[in-house]
Amino acid sequence: MSEEILKALTQLFAIITKQDGGVTEKERDFVIKYFEQELDQDSVNEYIDLYDKFAEYKKPGEETGEVVEKKKQRKLTSVRDSVKTLAICKKINKTLTQKQKVVVLIKILELVASDKNFTPQRMEIIDTISTVFNISKEEYKLFECFVLKESSAEMPFSDILTVSEKAPDLSGGQKYTHASLQGEIVFMNVKSVDMYFVRYLGSEEVVLNGFIMKSGIIYLFAHGSTIKTPKGDALYYSDLIRNYLSDLEANEISFNVKALEFRFPNGAIGLRNVEISEGPGKLIGIMGASGAGKTTLLNVLAGIESPSSGAVLINGKNIHQEKDSIEGVIGYVSQDDLLIEELTVYQNLYYNAKLCFDGMSEEDLHKRVMTVLESLGLDQRKDLRVGSVLDKTISGGQRKRLNIALELIREPAVLFVDEPTSGLSSRDSENVIDLLKELSLKGKLIFVVIHQPSSDIYKMFDKMFILDTGGFPIFYGHPVEAVTYFKKSTNQVDADRGQCPTCGNVNPEQIFNIIEAKVVDEYGEFTNKRKVNPKQWNARYDKEFKLNWNEDVDVTPPKSLNIPSKFKQTVIFTTRDLLSKLSNKQYMLINFLEAPLLAFILAFIIRYKSSPDQSEYLFRFNENFPVYIMMSIIVALFMGLTVSAEEIIRDRKILKRESFLNLSWNSYLVSKIFILIVISAIQTFCFVLLGNLILEIKDGFFSFWIILFSVSVMANILGLNVSSAFNSAVTVYILIPILIIPQMVLSGLLFSFDKLNDLISTKGKVPVLADVMVSRWAYEAVAVDYYKNNGFQWRFYDFEQQERQSDFQSAFLIPAIKDKLDGIIENKDNDSMKEDLEDDLSLVKVELQKLESTKRIEGINVDELELASITEDQKTAIVAYLDELDSWYKDQFNLAVNKREKLIGLLETSEEIDFDLNELKNTYYNESLADLVRNVTVKNRMIEYEGELIQQIDPVFNEPRARHPLDYRAHFFAPTKNYLGFTLDTFSFNLIVIWLMSILLYVTLYFELLRKGIDSLGSIKFGGNKTAKPKK
Amino acid sequence: MKRLICAFALLILISSCGSNRKSAEQALLDQVDSTSLTDTGISEEVISDIIQQIPSPLEISVLLKEVGTEYDNDILNAASNTSKYNSNYKRALNLGIYGTDLGYTNIYSQNQDALFYLKSIRDLADGLSIGQFFDFGTISRLATNSNNLDSLLLITTQNFNKINSYLQEQKRSNLSVLLLAGGWLEALHISCQVNEMNGGNAELVEKIGEQKIILENIMLLLSFYSETDPSISKLMENFTELKDVYDQVEITYTYEDPTYEVVDGVLTIVDNSSSSINITDQNINDITRITASIREKVIN
Repeated sequence: MSEEILKALTQLFAIITKQDGGVTEKERDFVIKYFEQELDQDSVNEYIDLYDKFAEYKKPGEETGEVVEKKKQRKLTSVRDSVKTLAICKKINKTLTQKQKVVVLIKILELVASDKNFTPQRMEIIDTISTVFNISKEEYKLFECFVLKESSAEMPFSDILTVSEKAPDLSGGQKYTHASLQGEIVFMNVKSVDMYFVRYLGSEEVVLNGFIMKSGIIYLFAHGSTIKTPKGDALYYSDLIRNYLSDLEANEISFNVKALEFRFPNGAIGLRNVEISEGPGKLIGIMGASGAGKTTLLNVLAGIESPSSGAVLINGKNIHQEKDSIEGVIGYVSQDDLLIEELTVYQNLYYNAKLCFDGMSEEDLHKRVMTVLESLGLDQRKDLRVGSVLDKTISGGQRKRLNIALELIREPAVLFVDEPTSGLSSRDSENVIDLLKELSLKGKLIFVVIHQPSSDIYKMFDKMFILDTGGFPIFYGHPVEAVTYFKKSTNQVDADRGQCPTCGNVNPEQIFNIIEAKVVDEYGEFTNKRKVNPKQWNARYDKEFKLNWNEDVDVTPPKSLNIPSKFKQTVIFTTRDLLSKLSNKQYMLINFLEAPLLAFILAFIIRYKSSPDQSEYLFRFNENFPVYIMMSIIVALFMGLTVSAEEIIRDRKILKRESFLNLSWNSYLVSKIFILIVISAIQTFCFVLLGNLILEIKDGFFSFWIILFSVSVMANILGLNVSSAFNSAVTVYILIPILIIPQMVLSGLLFSFDKLNDLISTKGKVPVLADVMVSRWAYEAVAVDYYKNNGFQWRFYDFEQQERQSDFQSAFLIPAIKDKLDGIIENKDNDSMKEDLEDDLSLVKVELQKLESTKRIEGINVDELELASITEDQKTAIVAYLDELDSWYKDQFNLAVNKREKLIGLLETSEEIDFDLNELKNTYYNESLADLVRNVTVKNRMIEYEGELIQQIDPVFNEPRARHPLDYRAHFFAPTKNYLGFTLDTFSFNLIVIWLMSILLYVTLYFELLRKGIDSLGSIKFGGNKTAKPKK
Repeated sequence: MKRLICAFALLILISSCGSNRKSAEQALLDQVDSTSLTDTGISEEVISDIIQQIPSPLEISVLLKEVGTEYDNDILNAASNTSKYNSNYKRALNLGIYGTDLGYTNIYSQNQDALFYLKSIRDLADGLSIGQFFDFGTISRLATNSNNLDSLLLITTQNFNKINSYLQEQKRSNLSVLLLAGGWLEALHISCQVNEMNGGNAELVEKIGEQKIILENIMLLLSFYSETDPSISKLMENFTELKDVYDQVEITYTYEDPTYEVVDGVLTIVDNSSSSINITDQNINDITRITASIREKVIN
């Protein structure tokens, strides 16, 4: 208290006491006592002098005739005093909190009461003070009654609570609690400031926090206070407070923990025979040395971890086995921050509430959120972004309170809080515990793991559960008693005093000093050995503590949860995520600049004067186009992966919290994917737009975009898989190259599929390993689609296909078969070549069968051809057939050529269409891409592989043949694909494959297969460990 | 969200543009569908016989070197023009032209230019589905070393002969004719240009005059196809203009009985007949001009 205020108070005291008859000795003594309480000895005298001066106090015997004169001026003085009082009160108003003002007012009343000199003038001044202090008339009346009256019967207020042996007259609405003592203890609740005052009216030695209460004197009844009667009854703060609140809420909850034991996966015991029985409205602290198993206990109690034996029952329901029935009953606030950093304080709460309360109107939701924020003192901060731990916008205490608020808003009946005060200032810590205390008073059952609490915090708990190393319970009872219990156990001096007799402080450290006291060796040094080991403490605990079991309440546990439908959840998740992303400016900027920037870098660098005379840029001669397509696909993959790889990891903590709500994992994933899809769509759109603009690619925009988009979406889901499987973002980012580089290697462009390791490659088919790569499907789709359907080629493709394929058949395939046949007939009697000839014949048969799909062979059954029996006549017949076919193919070829030439002629002469063949080709056609998809650089246009002749040239014109309906495989750059008897163009087929991959990945994501796989890998134990384990 | 809608609107716009463009041409495509194989009615043997009578364009190149003119690649068709030839008609004609150009560069040992022409020839041959006559693996290997150029050219020249016969076998002798016409046209053009630059050379003038006979043969060949192929009929028209000039050139043929001589113990017949060519400067100028203009149309 500042000097100024004390002076002001002194004046106030003086003014009041000097009214009507002046200061009496009793009053002066009261004031002196007050000073002694507030000040050191030197200052006390100084202030007494000051008081005497203001109060015009004359020591007995000093009184003179002036008195008479003074009495005449009385009226005048009182007016002056009133004005003075007003000025002083205003000054006080500016500095003191409402609580302090209440204390001051009660002190003043007490001062007056000390001599029972209630003159109207005195009362009038006090009344003025109460008005200036903004204390309501009713409360002032209450104070007056409480201070001035001599029995509770005369205090007709519901804020009065009497504790006595016999119930007094309760007609005024007073409350009553039984205790065996002489006289009565009267409590007063000041609702406006949430304070309690106590007065003892009787003559016994009633002890408040270790000191004897003087009869009639008013004491502040603070958090954690205890009153003990001579007959041994204890009145705890929390019990009394509950009397005031009992009519507010009636939560029917029983929480019984029976013979709980917990073993860690490695077999070590974490908890031993924990038994707890609690009802509603309790704040239970869990303490213990570090590593004693506090958090483990909390996790088991909250149902996060399953016990190895024993049960946790809420209203008779086993929380580990009947999870459904306790859904929404339990709340858990972990030690970590579970906030969405990009959202504001309000949004964090709002979306959380939205997920908890389906069907609540926006207005009600808003009200609810605001109420919680107000009760936590966060309403002023509601529009601030939460920010990360490094980039703070709200304080640590506020973060913690917000974390708790997230659970509070849905008001779970049982709440578990893990170390809510760690890392907070003592003031913030107190605020947080205060909040929990208040909740417990509203009927919630709250378990709090607490570490090194301050005295004030420690005293707020209703009960304390203390664990010792190894999970041994060693204390379960009232916190202050814990101190006396351990002191007594070790026969310490002054064992009865739990609190400091002068300041009322409890030192919880003391408890642990006793528990962990070490044996001292002969040199006076501490050894590692404890005086009393955990087992011994536990044995003592078993002896001393008998648990009074609460009956299991047989009603469904109360829950206020109303989970929205899966679709609504998706919408809420999506909005929440979207808002958090939108508010992260850096994220948005990077993500939406990334694509255009990469497109610019890529396209700008590979644009050069490409025309044959090197005078200008012509798309047709840009040799980088095939690589550009691949790089674009890699970019799409990269962007897709990076944007998604951190998503689930970042949300993991939030997911842990929300797991208590039993929200839909599917909805969560769908919301994630939806947002990522939108981002990918925009990113790839920007990329293709800018890239194609710079490279003057005037065609295939849509198909290029849709492929890149699909690849990006697939990468998104792949990224989510990875994100859900690994624990840190760093691991995920290290993983990205491992995912991307195979995609590059097996995309089909960098390395030809025909020139891969023989274990992998299949000639004339895309290797199965490459079929797993999305890049290969995407690349093929874009390249083939662009080649077939570009603005130049689309009108010629069919003709050219007929032309090239007919040419291949007649110029390469048929002559090759003829050669083989000649060789067979010539050497068929040569035994040494038999094996080779058998192979040749089977090849001839295979190829003839293929040709028969075009035209049947007359008079010969190809299947029946045998090396031993093949005749010259048969050969002649086959050759004749081949010649006929050859001639037919030649006609086909010429027909196709004629058609194409004719079309060109028609187009060039057409008046409607402005056609310039060369111009068109320069604009739409790309020579390098054409060379690639036609494989013109191949040395052998046809190779022999595994008893077949395989066309190497012109893959883009070569229609693949399916061996059976399920055979999807084809050569790279095939123009169409066959599956289940359907023929689809490559673009559609590949697009479907890419989306099937995405769907497959979604399934693995949904079931978290990757995570489970990694977990099972992680649980494989190496030989050494197994043998090292002791046998039981 | 708005952005997304805009993006989709743009997409629809872009994709709809494509379909409009295509529909206009669909009618033409339908028309083409009914195309059938045409038969010239002239047997391949007849065509083959006529082709055999036409000398190789390389002969002119040899003459040019003998005349002693210097190499000048400005009079050749630039290799960078290759990409302009996208129809078979153009490809075949220019394949012939490049063949002559390749021979010309060869005689002057212009290796770098020869490589350019080789690549052009390769591309055009590929476009005509006769790429198999060039083993590109070998060609590119040989091409990295200029000492191999001789063998490279030998292969190429041989290939031209093979191509001719192959095309005839493939019932595509029209291409063969065009190939020939292109080669001949380029040879004539080079001769004319060199002649002009040298201010008239008797040997060259005579050579140019002699081409009257070859032109007649080529026109005969072209006439077989001019009815079915509009491009060829157009070329015919151009050649007719040239023929009109050549009609003013007179070739008088004086017959004398052949005599028999014994050379190295072998009896041989000596042709004593001779021909004289009557050609004016005006004729030469006209031929030079018209040839150049026809060629200009062909190569562009």
